[in-house]
Amino acid sequence: MARSVKHSVNRPPTPDEDVRDSPERDELTLGEIINIKLVESGEKENLMELVRDRLVESGWKDEMRIACREHVKKKGRKDVTVDELIRVITPKGRASVPDAVKEELLDRIHNFIRSAAL
Amino acid sequence: MSNVEDNKSSHDQLSSQVFLDLVDSVIADVASECHRVARLGLDRDLEVVEEELRLSVEARAKVADPSNNLETNTKYVVDIFGQSHPPVATEVFNCMNCGRQIVAGRFAPHLERCMGKGRKARAKATRSTTASQNRNSRRNTSDNNQLASGPPGFEENVRKA
Repeated sequence: MARSVKHSVNRPPTPDEDVRDSPERDELTLGEIINIKLVESGEKENLMELVRDRLVESGWKDEMRIACREHVKKKGRKDVTVDELIRVITPKGRASVPDAVKEELLDRIHNFIRSAAL
Repeated sequence: MSNVEDNKSSHDQLSSQVFLDLVDSVIADVASECHRVARLGLDRDLEVVEEELRLSVEARAKVADPSNNLETNTKYVVDIFGQSHPPVATEVFNCMNCGRQIVAGRFAPHLERCMGKGRKARAKATRSTTASQNRNSRRNTSDNNQLASGPPGFEENVRKA
């Protein structure tokens, strides 16, 4: 029985699992790993909620909305795009986060990274 | 030891990165929300301000425009209650001298003739006693009070007294 088995379907050879996966794993940066762990553990969700609450109660969100309205008034409300608004308010937004809020968040993130034992 | 320090600084960097990522997400949320409000015209305040700006610009242009016929406007100008007044007073009332119905706008000339200011106007004045009695009594009382005096009967009472 020297005849080779007839394949009913033409398929390329299954690539090696090892060869495919490890290069990806090597390319993942530390930051990406942290992000994945944050999401998987649910901590990212908690942090997002915390950030939102703190920024709303400190009036930061209202300031940002006012800045958006100013820009919309200038440009005319029919022409604005989301990207444009983001571009306009991001520098001011990042800079005007209250220090206390920033401290609190950085603390929590630090703890998480330490406990992730990397 | 150096490893720990390295770890710490890289940890700091990582933390900052995560933090900035979170803030950027919130910023994107705010921008998206504002964009929606703006495009849907939900921000009433914005519209009101725009409308007021437009109206004030229009009003200013109208005032500054010299070609507007201001003269015709003042004749039939509308006051703050929305009422417009015709140039000649149209109310009709009874003359207290002759009892006739007189248009208020024509009352002064009527009174001149009615009371016989000049002999010419009333050259054919009735020489009836009532008319001359009325005229006499009026000359005796103060002229200023003519219009404020009561109906014709009043003068006769004054006369009798």
